[in-house]
Amino acid sequence: MKNDNKVLACVDQSHFADYVADYSAWAARRMNAPLEFLHIIDRHPEIATGNDHSGAIGFDAQETLLTELSNEEESRSKAARERGRVFLNRLRERAIASGVEAPDVRQRYGVLEETLVEQQFGVRLFVLGRRGEAAEVTQRDLGRNVESAVRAVHKPILTVTEGFTEPHRAMIAFDGGIVTRRGVEMVAASPLFRGMPVHLLMSGKKSQDASRQLDWAKTTLEKAGFDAPASLIPGDAETTIAKAVREQGIDILIMGAYGHSPLRSLLFGSKTTDLLRAAKIPTLLLR
Amino acid sequence: MKSFRQDWLSNVRNDMLAGIVVALALIPEAIAFSIIAGVDPKVGLYAAFCIATVISFTGGRPGMISAATGAMALVMVTLVKDHGLQYLLAATILTGVLQILAGWLRLGALMRFVSRSVITGFVNALAILIFMAQLPELTGVTWQAYTVVAAGLAIIYLFPYLTKTVPSPLVAIITLTAVSIWLGLDIRTVGDMGQLPDSLPIFLLPDVPLNWQTLQIIFPVSATLAVVGLLESMMTAAIVDDLTDTPSNKNRECMGQGVANVAAGFLGGMAGCAMIGQTVINVKSGGRGRLSTLTAGVCLLLMVVFAGPWVARIPMPALVAVMIMVSIGTFNWASVRNLREHPMSSSVVMIATVVVVVATHDLAKGVLVGVLLSGFFFAHKVGKILHIGSKSQDEGRMRAYKVTGQVFFASAERFVNSFDFKEVIEKVCIDVSRAHFWDITAVSALDKVVIKFRREGTEVEVIGLNAASATMVDRFAVHDKPDAVEQLMGH
Repeated sequence: MKNDNKVLACVDQSHFADYVADYSAWAARRMNAPLEFLHIIDRHPEIATGNDHSGAIGFDAQETLLTELSNEEESRSKAARERGRVFLNRLRERAIASGVEAPDVRQRYGVLEETLVEQQFGVRLFVLGRRGEAAEVTQRDLGRNVESAVRAVHKPILTVTEGFTEPHRAMIAFDGGIVTRRGVEMVAASPLFRGMPVHLLMSGKKSQDASRQLDWAKTTLEKAGFDAPASLIPGDAETTIAKAVREQGIDILIMGAYGHSPLRSLLFGSKTTDLLRAAKIPTLLLR
Repeated sequence: MKSFRQDWLSNVRNDMLAGIVVALALIPEAIAFSIIAGVDPKVGLYAAFCIATVISFTGGRPGMISAATGAMALVMVTLVKDHGLQYLLAATILTGVLQILAGWLRLGALMRFVSRSVITGFVNALAILIFMAQLPELTGVTWQAYTVVAAGLAIIYLFPYLTKTVPSPLVAIITLTAVSIWLGLDIRTVGDMGQLPDSLPIFLLPDVPLNWQTLQIIFPVSATLAVVGLLESMMTAAIVDDLTDTPSNKNRECMGQGVANVAAGFLGGMAGCAMIGQTVINVKSGGRGRLSTLTAGVCLLLMVVFAGPWVARIPMPALVAVMIMVSIGTFNWASVRNLREHPMSSSVVMIATVVVVVATHDLAKGVLVGVLLSGFFFAHKVGKILHIGSKSQDEGRMRAYKVTGQVFFASAERFVNSFDFKEVIEKVCIDVSRAHFWDITAVSALDKVVIKFRREGTEVEVIGLNAASATMVDRFAVHDKPDAVEQLMGH
């Protein structure tokens, strides 16, 4: 059990945190890896709280204001820190209850994306809620921060949805691309999915190349001892995958993520984002 | 995208409220500074609108307020008096161009040579000048005027104890205007000071001949304006950085100030820069983003254009009260309390800056004196870090000198005088391995020492020139070249 191979569960104070804790505990147990909870405290110096609109400045105006603002911020930071600590401890207990020994906790200042990039060294798997605190009040399926976070890091990321059921049946959304091919090898080598059937699903037109790719993936998985039923279903990825997930009782999906530039996603939409929206189950994104 | 959202939209409600508060306090200031500069109030008001609006987009420090300022107004007094408004507008445009150039050349980095004491001196001098500019309105006027000023200050400072939701300077101005109209007081009003804006500003070219002579007239003023404007803007930006604990882009601010001034010049406004007092008010009222500056500029113009007839009836003493508040709020009172605790040299720098500014009415000169003095004091202090010890060796045949510390122009003489040339000795060994030779003066001092010993028939060996000194010696020294004596003592 080396410390530089940890599962990093990124939580904020949204109701997803519990499920993030559950899934990361599950992953840590399966991979026999240390688990760390990371709580990021956003600071927003660009947002003011002042209610003094008197517009009058007197003796030592600047010094008084500086003291006032820094005192305010100090008490706010202290409160946030304490709240975060209590919150993290609760998650830690939860993880211990589900069988992880000695999960670590950490709080950092910053924004999600930058913090993840800073932290990604020594991380084997990120676990992330599909929506965060900021998206709690909106109707959005996918938190705005999630895409940028996923794009920023180069490690596998497990994005978690509402509720926890221990995964028993995995599916790889296989497109024959380099990322998913590497993904297949990774799944074959990883203890995370050991013992459960890993379905291979390729959507799109039937072609010789596609079936050859699929065969390769199937053999790779079977060689590693997986039960790997493969299917090639014509149609667009979003609906085929959503349908297959429903019909075959898949409870964890594996796919490549954000192969194209942000600009292209903005113009044509992103397949990853569409799939994440369509799949209501936890999804492991490979970079 | 992200920074756009952060700069403009993250603090909308607070920014807009703060902007309105600032706009209300900007009106009296812009009018007062126009009067200082000797132009119609509309020139200052147009400038305030233009600069605040443009800088909200181009500036490098969100949340900072820029408009027509006292520091700039004071510099242009003579130009306006001798040549008139059109030359001021041309000078304003040139100021902007110079500032853009400064930003492009990244001169913002030069601010690091301006020490804390100089900044404090600048701020204090500014406060004193703003106060002194009110004196014409306070001398030779009726007792009614004094009463209005006193009442104004009382309202400004006491009203916030009642409620902080309404800007107290506004309450003071409205109350005093109402009272003076009602009682028919015989005091000067803003309308007596010159023309107020009656429309939105329009684009026009300054009506000056485009020739060498014009440039000769406006260039010195523009250069001073550019320097003063950038100095105050950089200082104010640093204050906002501290207050909000966020970074700013100083070079973008330089260029932004330039663009804003060019725009002001073409729209009939005078040159301006960041305002310390207003910026503190803005931050205090909750302004953090660019929207606060934009709101301040736009609100100011709307209020002035649509409430013009009423603005004209504001009694001057009410404005004086507001300006006294700004002056009090700008002055760094702690610097007076700390005069005796701080090192003598810092206090001298601060006071010298203030004295020069107040005497010349030119903040640039004051800062120059302050920076030079800080430089002198620093050189003097570092020059003291030099010790030369010696020991005789080899049964009195040789003396070993050991030099420790900094050798440069300020300490070169002491360096030379520390050697005993009268000593009758065979050989001298100078160990400079723990010394730094900073400049040509230091190197020629060492040459002088070496040559002086040689003339006494003493053999000299210099050892341990460290890397820094060695490069200096290699490049400039003469003693290790054959005709050393001739070269140094040739004349």
